[in-house]
Amino acid sequence: MSMLPWCVAAWLFGVGIYGLVTSRHYVHMIGCLTVCQSATYVLLLGIGFRWHAGPPIFYDHPPGTAAVDPVVQALVLTDIVVGAAMTALLLAIALQVHKRRGTLDPSQLRPLR
Amino acid sequence: MSARARSALLVLAFIVLAPAVASVIRAMPPLGQPLSRYGPTVNALAPGLRNVSNMVAAVNFDIRGIDTLGEECMLLCAVTGAVMLLRGRRGEDMSERAGRVPGRAIVRRSDATVLVCRFAAIALLLFGVYMVLHGTVTPGGGFQGGVIAASSLLLLYLGEGYAPWRRLVRGPVLVVLEAGGALAFVLCAAVPLIDGHAALQNLLPLGRWKDLYSGGLMVLVNYSVACAVAGGFGMLLLEFMEETRAPENDPEPDEEDV
Amino acid sequence: MNWLLGALLGLAALAGVLVVLSRDPKKQVYALCANGLVLALLFFALQAPDVALSEIAIGTMVTPLLFLVTLASAAMHRKQP
Repeated sequence: MSMLPWCVAAWLFGVGIYGLVTSRHYVHMIGCLTVCQSATYVLLLGIGFRWHAGPPIFYDHPPGTAAVDPVVQALVLTDIVVGAAMTALLLAIALQVHKRRGTLDPSQLRPLR
Repeated sequence: MSARARSALLVLAFIVLAPAVASVIRAMPPLGQPLSRYGPTVNALAPGLRNVSNMVAAVNFDIRGIDTLGEECMLLCAVTGAVMLLRGRRGEDMSERAGRVPGRAIVRRSDATVLVCRFAAIALLLFGVYMVLHGTVTPGGGFQGGVIAASSLLLLYLGEGYAPWRRLVRGPVLVVLEAGGALAFVLCAAVPLIDGHAALQNLLPLGRWKDLYSGGLMVLVNYSVACAVAGGFGMLLLEFMEETRAPENDPEPDEEDV
Repeated sequence: MNWLLGALLGLAALAGVLVVLSRDPKKQVYALCANGLVLALLFFALQAPDVALSEIAIGTMVTPLLFLVTLASAAMHRKQP
């Protein structure tokens, strides 16, 4: 159990890379990239987790009660939002590729021609 | 590179990297016993120093505020880039109607769907605003609240269809929201510099514990982030929707636009 | 608590595999939604309500919608060069 989150993070990252390499469609590729991203979320939140501790919000329980690490949570929070904007940027690039070349299959696109 | 060569390279990379990954996993601390002292220190000190009860907001908007400023700029750049790319080659030969995928049947929305979507969109917008306002007190804050407020636009789209939605949503308003939010964040960081303090230093009164106004400057930063995120994501939704318009020479409008 | 975390971590690993293995992008959108939801539940279990809220909004609403719109636009403008 104590190693499980790190294994899941490594697994998700590996699976995402596998999807990226074998993908036949740009949009599918971007979906695989979000899987790679989710590996970092699992890793970071796992690092900050603490047994028998509450969330780092001292509204119901007074300050001083055990709480998990807020720093990694802040990192992941901003990462999710900025990552979504990056995904949108990649999708916009994919749309441009489709407009210019009429295909979304990476193997049909040669970079320099 | 052919697909076969790429797969072979991938397998090779996995085989080479697997022992390294395994040794890193073995060297990690077990789950539930973090080694870092930073987080516990924040948990111990920030409630007393800043009068806020949400430590994540305290880290985001005050203790690591400059990092968040960087993230905000990344968000601005990503949104600007996406909008530029989408607008760049769009041209003017698009009609004001929603397009359709060839060969797909068009199903009319029922009135119930439209009504439910209207109510749900308003409720979602209010929930987003609520999350922003309570950002420094309970779970929530500018990032989540902004995204939730922006996604109410999406519910409105589901209910109304393209043409009425487009009449409702004004692009310039979203642009001003986004740019104004980012500018307000930069001003929050820069104004203390004028007086010789550190960037983002809290010069405002801290407010009361568990109050809507708690945390001083943090509240302003929270609101500006909320504006920027809501405007940015609203902008993205709008520009992506513009891509689904019908071309000018398309045959007659269908049921959906009515 | 122990088994809940373990089960959610397992589900997250499974959802990631689903996203990668659904090769048709239209089906992948649903897998992405499921992935976002599972991750949000996992973040709740890891005592991170802030992160879970943003993951629900982003992972199950905004990102899948952007994927769908991209696919719809690509399907609509297929005929033109």
